[in-house]
Amino acid sequence: MDFQFGWLLNLICYLPLAGALLIMLFVNKENSRGIKTTATVVAGLDFVISIPLWFLYRPDGAEFQFASQADWIPSVGVQYIFGIDGFAVLLILLTTLLGFIAIYSSFTAIAERQKEYYISLLLLQTGMLGVFCSLDFILFYVFWEVMLVPMYFLIGVWGGPRRLYAAIKFFLYTLFGSVLMLVGILALYFYNADGLAAIGLKGLGNIPTFSIQHLYTIAPQIPPDLQFWVFLAFFVGFAIKVPMFPFHTWLPDAHVEAPTAGSVILAAVLLKMGTYGFVRFSLPLLPDATLKAVGWIGVLSIIAIVYGALVAMAQKDMKKLVAYSSVSHMGFITLGLFALNTAGLRGGILQMLNHGISTGALFLLVGLVYERRHNRMIAEYGGLAKVMPLYATFFLVMTMSSIGLPTLNGFIGEFTILIGVFNHSWVWALFAASGIVLGAAYMLWLYQRVFFGELSNEKNKDLKDLNLREQWTLIPLVIIAFWIGLYPKPFFDRMAPTVDRVLARVEAVMPESETVAGHVAALASLPADETAGEHGEY
Amino acid sequence: MSLEQFIPFAPEIFLAAAGFVVLLLGTSLGRRSVRPVSLVGVASLALTGALVWLVGRPVSGPETILGDMLVVDALAVFFKLLILAASSMAIFMAAGFLERAGYGGGEFVSLILFATLGMFIMASGASLVSLYVGLELMALSVYVLVGFFKLEVKSNEGAVKYFVLGAASSAVLLYGISLIYGTLGTLDLEAIRSSLVSLPTSNPMLALGIVLVGFGMLFKVAAVPFHVWTPDAYEGAPTPVTAFISVAPKAAAFAMFLRLFLGAFGPQVDFWRVVLWVAAAATLIYGNVAALTQDNVKRMLAYSSIAHVGYALLGLVAANATGAWALLMYMLVYAFMNLGAFGFVILLESKGYAGELIGDYAGLSKRHPAAALGMLIFMLALAGIPPTAGFMGKLYLFAAAVEGGYIVLTVIAVVMSAVSLYYYFRIVVQMYLKDGEEEDSAPAELLRDRWTEAMIAVCVVVTLVVGVYPAPVIGWAKSAVGALGLM
Amino acid sequence: MKLYDLIWLIPILPLLGAIINGLVSNRLGLSKPVTNTVALLGSGLAWILGWAAIVQWVLELGIHHTHVVRLFTWINGGSLRILDGSLADVNIAASFQLDSVSALMVAFVTFVGFLIHVYSVGYMHDESDRAYARYFSYLNLFMFSMLVLVLGSNLVVLFVGWEGVGLCSYLLIGFYFEKDWCAAAGMKAFIVNRIGDWGFLLAIFATFMVFGTLEFTEFFATAAAHPEHYATAATVIGLLLFVGAIGKSAQIPLFVWLPDAMAGPTPVSALIHAATMVTAGVYMVVRCNVIFRLSPTAMLVVAIVGGVTAIVAATIGLVQNDIKKVLAYSTVSQLGYMFLGAGVGAFVAAIFHVLTHAFFKACLFLGSGSVIHACSGEQDIRKMGGLKRYMPTTYWTFLAATLAISGIPIFAGFFSKDEILAKAFEAGAGGLNGFGSTYYLLWFLGLAGAVLTAFYMFRLVFATFHGEFRGGEEAEHHLHESPRTMTMPLVVLGVLSIFGGLVGIPGHLFGHPEWNLIEGFLEPVMLPIGHAAEEAAHVSHHAVSLGLEWGLVFLSVAAAGLGIWVANRFYMGATAFARPQRLAERFSLVYKLLLNKYWVDEIYGATVIAGTLKLSRLLWEGDARVVDGAVNGTALATVGSSFISGIFDLRVVDGLVNLVGTSYDQASRQFRRLQVGFTQGYAMVMVFGAAVLLGIFYLAKF
Repeated sequence: MDFQFGWLLNLICYLPLAGALLIMLFVNKENSRGIKTTATVVAGLDFVISIPLWFLYRPDGAEFQFASQADWIPSVGVQYIFGIDGFAVLLILLTTLLGFIAIYSSFTAIAERQKEYYISLLLLQTGMLGVFCSLDFILFYVFWEVMLVPMYFLIGVWGGPRRLYAAIKFFLYTLFGSVLMLVGILALYFYNADGLAAIGLKGLGNIPTFSIQHLYTIAPQIPPDLQFWVFLAFFVGFAIKVPMFPFHTWLPDAHVEAPTAGSVILAAVLLKMGTYGFVRFSLPLLPDATLKAVGWIGVLSIIAIVYGALVAMAQKDMKKLVAYSSVSHMGFITLGLFALNTAGLRGGILQMLNHGISTGALFLLVGLVYERRHNRMIAEYGGLAKVMPLYATFFLVMTMSSIGLPTLNGFIGEFTILIGVFNHSWVWALFAASGIVLGAAYMLWLYQRVFFGELSNEKNKDLKDLNLREQWTLIPLVIIAFWIGLYPKPFFDRMAPTVDRVLARVEAVMPESETVAGHVAALASLPADETAGEHGEY
Repeated sequence: MSLEQFIPFAPEIFLAAAGFVVLLLGTSLGRRSVRPVSLVGVASLALTGALVWLVGRPVSGPETILGDMLVVDALAVFFKLLILAASSMAIFMAAGFLERAGYGGGEFVSLILFATLGMFIMASGASLVSLYVGLELMALSVYVLVGFFKLEVKSNEGAVKYFVLGAASSAVLLYGISLIYGTLGTLDLEAIRSSLVSLPTSNPMLALGIVLVGFGMLFKVAAVPFHVWTPDAYEGAPTPVTAFISVAPKAAAFAMFLRLFLGAFGPQVDFWRVVLWVAAAATLIYGNVAALTQDNVKRMLAYSSIAHVGYALLGLVAANATGAWALLMYMLVYAFMNLGAFGFVILLESKGYAGELIGDYAGLSKRHPAAALGMLIFMLALAGIPPTAGFMGKLYLFAAAVEGGYIVLTVIAVVMSAVSLYYYFRIVVQMYLKDGEEEDSAPAELLRDRWTEAMIAVCVVVTLVVGVYPAPVIGWAKSAVGALGLM
Repeated sequence: MKLYDLIWLIPILPLLGAIINGLVSNRLGLSKPVTNTVALLGSGLAWILGWAAIVQWVLELGIHHTHVVRLFTWINGGSLRILDGSLADVNIAASFQLDSVSALMVAFVTFVGFLIHVYSVGYMHDESDRAYARYFSYLNLFMFSMLVLVLGSNLVVLFVGWEGVGLCSYLLIGFYFEKDWCAAAGMKAFIVNRIGDWGFLLAIFATFMVFGTLEFTEFFATAAAHPEHYATAATVIGLLLFVGAIGKSAQIPLFVWLPDAMAGPTPVSALIHAATMVTAGVYMVVRCNVIFRLSPTAMLVVAIVGGVTAIVAATIGLVQNDIKKVLAYSTVSQLGYMFLGAGVGAFVAAIFHVLTHAFFKACLFLGSGSVIHACSGEQDIRKMGGLKRYMPTTYWTFLAATLAISGIPIFAGFFSKDEILAKAFEAGAGGLNGFGSTYYLLWFLGLAGAVLTAFYMFRLVFATFHGEFRGGEEAEHHLHESPRTMTMPLVVLGVLSIFGGLVGIPGHLFGHPEWNLIEGFLEPVMLPIGHAAEEAAHVSHHAVSLGLEWGLVFLSVAAAGLGIWVANRFYMGATAFARPQRLAERFSLVYKLLLNKYWVDEIYGATVIAGTLKLSRLLWEGDARVVDGAVNGTALATVGSSFISGIFDLRVVDGLVNLVGTSYDQASRQFRRLQVGFTQGYAMVMVFGAAVLLGIFYLAKF
């Protein structure tokens, strides 16, 4: 690990928490302006100080950089370990950016109980960042669950009519997943140490630790049946978060009821937790089980792609439509990840960012018109392009990005995923690619029904087009969408080491003939740290 | 008999004396006695604490006294201090409550002190007899405490029930003890342990004896199916008493449980484990599931406390070092978060049993943000959500069970802890998501009660600090269970 | 700095125009002159640079040199293990290439594109400033995409252009988005094309998996080197590519979007839906001719789809009354000819036809646009007539183009179409790949199509320009020739429709093969491939004697003549329209069939679309009921059991009390009063529980 700038990572992670406390203790709840400014400044600052990560991260450096380490609960080997690789760098930047945008976009949307609202958003921010930074399983799990609470309140307090139901459903559903994951974590922990007595599983007798890096090194020794059960436990946790079919039903409810900012964060970052978990834990820690599970997960992902798209097509509520489109898009991501080859993984990871940007933006856009009309029913609209040309343009760009039009981010992700998937199984690709047709169908149909045709509905006659603040919540996303679409190389370069290492760890248990690059396979033998990343070309 | 050998017994002696003093003081002061008496009571408890600390550090290893009747070891010290903390907090919380209800403080405080004395003996009993005596001393005082509201039907109801059933269970326990004595010819825990090491496991008498003792203990900790008295007793008892009995006697009972089953019966662990396994599973499922639909907060917390017994039992089922110290730690954590939660019920109880219904919490966060935040923290802690102590406590119990290889039981436990979130959050929903204008809610006002508020504050701090930095507590618990000599 | 190193700039110039007009003019609503200056600069400079670069390339490097300009690594997707077991890096470069095909395409795309920009200046002048800016930025954006498409040096860059033109077509068809049917048509176009793209994408992936690269020069060389080895792969890839082509070039079964696409402004129809975009499919097939030539199956499929489409579309064209619809179906039919050409191995002829078709079809569309303009929006030819008098320029250019498409000698269309038919016949005679009879049939279809083409085109001319005006007094006053900006392009294209074909004189008929310039120019694209396939492809050359070839020429001319003659009998003179009326009545069924375009749209609507929507609604129901139902069901069950167990302690009491004999409600009233249970009841529970535990214990132990 490389401990340089470790303080920076901690600062990034806890700044929002500090901001939340600041508001909680020193800002009067009547002082709406003060609350907003504090929150915005803190979130903005957090984004700004996270930008250096992009430049300071060295793909050819140690696996985990910006690290910091300390004993937390020494008697049981729980440590406080922070540290990130390129993959996490990207997700952290996504989080800080979207976090800022979420706060910046809420000024007029949230009128009541603003204090609690912005506090929740900031706490959520710290929770999410912590998940991406943690390299100790218990630490990770703590952040993983801490996230749920503020999200629960965001949905439950500032949500729509069925918010109570949606909020508790979200909390319980995801909690079920994570507690099972906890059991898996403990099993690994004891296997690494003294084993599980009553089921006669002898451990490796190492010093007890939850350090993920250490567990990476023992991954190949974990017996297949243990791997299977742990994988199952992890899978439930992550699959619910993603969400993968058939664990997705909390998503539409949560999205529809959540306030705009909530949906944005939910779609942009929270859903990534699941896929992050797969890449960070399931694949490298449980290679054998992973190889066995690939088939099933592939099928589930394809179902998600097609199913999500078809269900989205039937929606009458814009937000629900976008929510189901998320199911479809996340299907692409999981499919790419479990194609278990470089292209698939790179594509999957990039698509995590793309989905965050495109879908996040789409939720923002839906929120903007909802704020004006307090109605999300597609049938209520039509011909908006006439009164809100600017809005229509932004919406078009993001529609195109989400249906994967070349020169926009969506295409790069889907293309890279699919070329990898095709390489893994052309049958998968055959079905998965159909998602591209369906995606175009439901998004364009939505666009046509909302923006084209007669401006029939009286209520829409004098809708205001986007004001400057609203534009600025979207412009950064549009810029990034084009950036990734036109020059994704910097992103690929940063995630490359992660991808190669993950594959190396998976292939460590694969027959040599099936492994990908020879030089990648070589990595497997090296301990996690010294592996100076060689990865494709730049 | 030289006087020196009574020195280790000093805390108990002092406590007994204090009890009588308080009683007299109370009667002489009458109605206005509550606050002064409480202060005296807490002060004496504090002094006891100091004594425990002084005598509790034996020069070398555990030290038995009074003809091997009692033992003073780290385990005992841990539980005694924990019990003292719980008792004093209960007294502080009770003060305002008693005043409002118009009762004097003398009997109350002295009863708590006597109960504490009983628990001390439970915590450091070295023989079946001393343990039983301690148990009964504790129980009798508690029966009275539950029925303390002489004029309230519910209070009496609960007391009677608790007493009858408690007596029955004591009988079972005693019968079990006699069976063991009959087969082994000794009451001394150490002797039992050593003889069990060599004994052939298929002795029906002994088996029955152990199981019956187990039943007795399960009753005292209120585990399914011996929980039935709990909801009514908890609901009927004056809330400070509920708070007290849901924490201190449980802790003491678990101390006894540890000494008996991991200590004395330790060698025969595979022999009795199945009983506890079933009881634990049943308790987890029943307690959590039953709590889901309770609209009376005290009753809900009663079922929740049953559920928490289920978690604690994981430690005994695992029967390994981790399990033992995790259990200790959990008792400590649970004491603070549960007392805190009850503190709020006390603050909400404007008169009699008012303010016990969930609807009364509606919109609390708007009118009392700080208080609501505190309650939120306790609810999160009870549900075991990080970064609260509740999570850390449960974590190591689960860990112990996994280490023991009881995956199924662990899965039941974790799933149930997820379920529990639902009923804890029914209160959160009322406080934060309802504005108190709904028709189904009758918002109650919080009382100003400095002492209780102070106690709640303490609980909040402990819950958060232990949740974020549990290392010291774990260290202490670990060293405390060293006495049991587990692997 | 060589100009041919700047080919990447050719697409960029119009892109700049698009950005400026889209972001500045449209936002600020700048005046029309500013807007169209920007737009014309964008496309005009691209035209000049394009031609200059090509000239310099030809002179300095020669047409045999494929000039690749690699800008930067665009997608570095890591490395994959491909079929042959080796590792290949997924490094997609943003790179462009200049070879004879792309040169030819660039040459005419920039040129025709510019002309149509000029034409639009006049045609769109009634629009509001903002709409005007929007229109031109779309149009420029289209130029950008189309140029990327033809210049791309690998399949992915080609696909970028491919999707780009699709987007622009979507936007421009839906330009009048207030009209629902325009917007719908745009969406239809995009989605139908996406179906094609599905195939195209899979083709790309397959190509990578087989060859480990997507650069044309590289995998063409590999394929050409080992034809037998790659035969199967070629079939798969070829067919998948062709799926894409079918979508983009509106062939059966995906042709339904093109007629609807006429909802867009007429210049758009001319540029995108006649001259350039729709021919992208043909371009792609020709570009990948190596792959197709390796696979007889793929070739046959291409030929069949092309031939059938040609005749079917033509039959539909016979009876349409909307001037633009007729032209639309004629476009579909002509595209069919191009694929027929490609399918019989006459790739050069196919591209040649793309070129000539671009001239005359653009001319026809612009002509129709000018007519519609004059008739103030009227598109029904039955409400026209005698326009010759009012708009001579339009008439003569339109006529020239019509003669060209009908295949009258000297006119552009004649050479290209005739070559395709000749090659088809040769394929039949030579038994290309052993499918001789099929190719004969296709040739015959083509010939029949030629008759029909001539007929419906002259029907159009006669109905529109000859006879008396049938649009009524009021409309007649507005009739006028269009402004210069519109007629000027017409003239240019008219002239090209006449002489444009001379670049492809079938020299070998006169013993001077070198006269066929285009053949020579495109020769480098036809990469020579290994023996077996090579022979198969070239058997045809000597299969037909010179005399027979001349015979074929006269035959096709005769076919055209026949068509014109019939059209003349039907739609000229006093009895105009009478005969077709009678025919329509006699064969009313056939007539309806054709008039309703074989009900293809209706069939699709009833099956594919309705099916999908039904399925989606079904799944949605299922999602709410079943999948989510399971979740909520579990929750509900838990809470339910909680209710039971929650009151268990109390209810047991009732049970016991009932045993004792007290009546139920009495007991429950008591229990309501006290809200607590009865002790003995509890004792029972404990005893029972204890018994159970003991039982378990003994079962486990003894």
